[in-house]
Amino acid sequence: MAAAMELSCWGGDWGLPSLHPESLTVMAYAKFSGAPLTVNTINNSWRAPKGDIPVLVSEDIVISQPAKILNFLRKQKYNADYELSAKQGADTLAYIALLEEKLLPALLHTFWIEAENYCSVTKPWFASRIAFPLSLYLPGKMSREALNRILLTKGGPPLYSLTEVEAQIYRDAKECLNLLSKRLGTSQFFFGDTPTTLDAFVFGFLAPIYKVCFPRVQLQEHLKQLPNLCRFCDDILTCYFRLTVSGHSPTGQDTADANLQKLTQLVNKESNLIEKMDDNLRKSPQHPPRKLTTLKLAAGGEESSPLSRLSP
Amino acid sequence: TLCFQAFLQMCNLPIQVICRANAEYMSPSGKLPFIHVGNQVVSELGPIVQFVKAKGHSLSDGLDEVQKAEMKAYMELVNNMLLTAELYLQWCDDVTVEEITHPRYGSPYPWPLNRILSYQKQWEVRRKMKAIGWAGKTLEQVLEDVDQCCHALSQRLGTQPYFFNKQPTELDALVFGHLFTILTTQLITDELSEKVKNYSNLTAFCRRIEQQYFEGPDKDGATAAARSAKRPLLR
Repeated sequence: MAAAMELSCWGGDWGLPSLHPESLTVMAYAKFSGAPLTVNTINNSWRAPKGDIPVLVSEDIVISQPAKILNFLRKQKYNADYELSAKQGADTLAYIALLEEKLLPALLHTFWIEAENYCSVTKPWFASRIAFPLSLYLPGKMSREALNRILLTKGGPPLYSLTEVEAQIYRDAKECLNLLSKRLGTSQFFFGDTPTTLDAFVFGFLAPIYKVCFPRVQLQEHLKQLPNLCRFCDDILTCYFRLTVSGHSPTGQDTADANLQKLTQLVNKESNLIEKMDDNLRKSPQHPPRKLTTLKLAAGGEESSPLSRLSP
Repeated sequence: TLCFQAFLQMCNLPIQVICRANAEYMSPSGKLPFIHVGNQVVSELGPIVQFVKAKGHSLSDGLDEVQKAEMKAYMELVNNMLLTAELYLQWCDDVTVEEITHPRYGSPYPWPLNRILSYQKQWEVRRKMKAIGWAGKTLEQVLEDVDQCCHALSQRLGTQPYFFNKQPTELDALVFGHLFTILTTQLITDELSEKVKNYSNLTAFCRRIEQQYFEGPDKDGATAAARSAKRPLLR
């Protein structure tokens, strides 16, 4: 077994283990692959966060970006992608690129640039977890970095003002969410029944949008219209991140709860399928147009046809 | 530029390639290339695809929703990795910058304008790299990323003629454009093109598209213009 590994990352709230998408991705991957990580959330101590968060420390090795951390975990034999075919591995890379290009700008905007959100939620939350006086400086710096990133990657001509850039990135993000929803369909995870790297990344990006309560929530509202993505986030939270008061899930209840989880998932799947079938039935034409002329001749026909159309 | 030509050839639309020094300023979005049809000017791949679609030609109609999602995801991968790697190599690798990029970019202008403009462009590109986190990458890491991307593309292509089996799509045009440019551009080192050459199905793919869409008796005009346009740019 590898040496003890420690992960430093931002803490959580609103039912999430972490608010920061990259930290959440790493934590989810660790849960999926069974890697024993000790998670240290950054709190109000003098060990100020330097450089990028999340940071993995194992013996003397310090690794900082999510992709590199995941590579390191894979080399230590904690591989959640073991059962994927080569083509699925390629798809994973492609979808992660899609997330970073299309969804991340809007996520950064919602958290760090939208004035109401930033002032009322993001800044106080992060400031409360950083030691004074760094708390006066660091949130502002993160906000400026986010703005910089968005403007440099998305803000070229013909978009000349920030509002146009904002409109474009939200359009892109909504399209990305639609594409993810279509790709997920009715399955539990993106590649079958076991979660993989792609699930970790998607969860890391979607869960903050889904759960954090902001004043301005257009992206969250759009996400809530895609029930399979919401179900995906909830499933991962309940299965892999059940935190008790002490922060560790109790081992005794695990099996019983695992069965309960599976049962709930099956029931959810069934109800999704039933809903889908219902939709299909409702959409299919109950009364083909050519029959209407014959119905009009019969006196009672007109009354019965609207009635039968209304029945579910 | 090549991906646009490939895309338009795949839609069977005749095109004429023209080189202009002030092309960046003629384009409505400041980005090259752009197409000029009748009295309309459209630039960038996304709007050009939409424009062509509105005129009744589309390559991805035969795909279902999940495949369209996959296609968009792969296009983003190519943009994210290959395009950024090309930019990095052109503007952030000091040797290449000095010997190739500066002279080439500044060539239409007199001194000192050529130096000023190319330094300005370099500064812009470096800022962008820093914002997305590529500034800290060494050349080896960039090459490794390119390798990973080519590996993914190669896996996805497999033994099929095109990425979505029988019909070429926008993704094929985009990949062809980038890979062909990498394979044929002469740089200080050949490491980038070597990485691509490691994947035989990708090189076969490029060759196949080149033969099918860029060679042939009635298409010589377009390819000759394309080739001669490329020569002064690619030295």
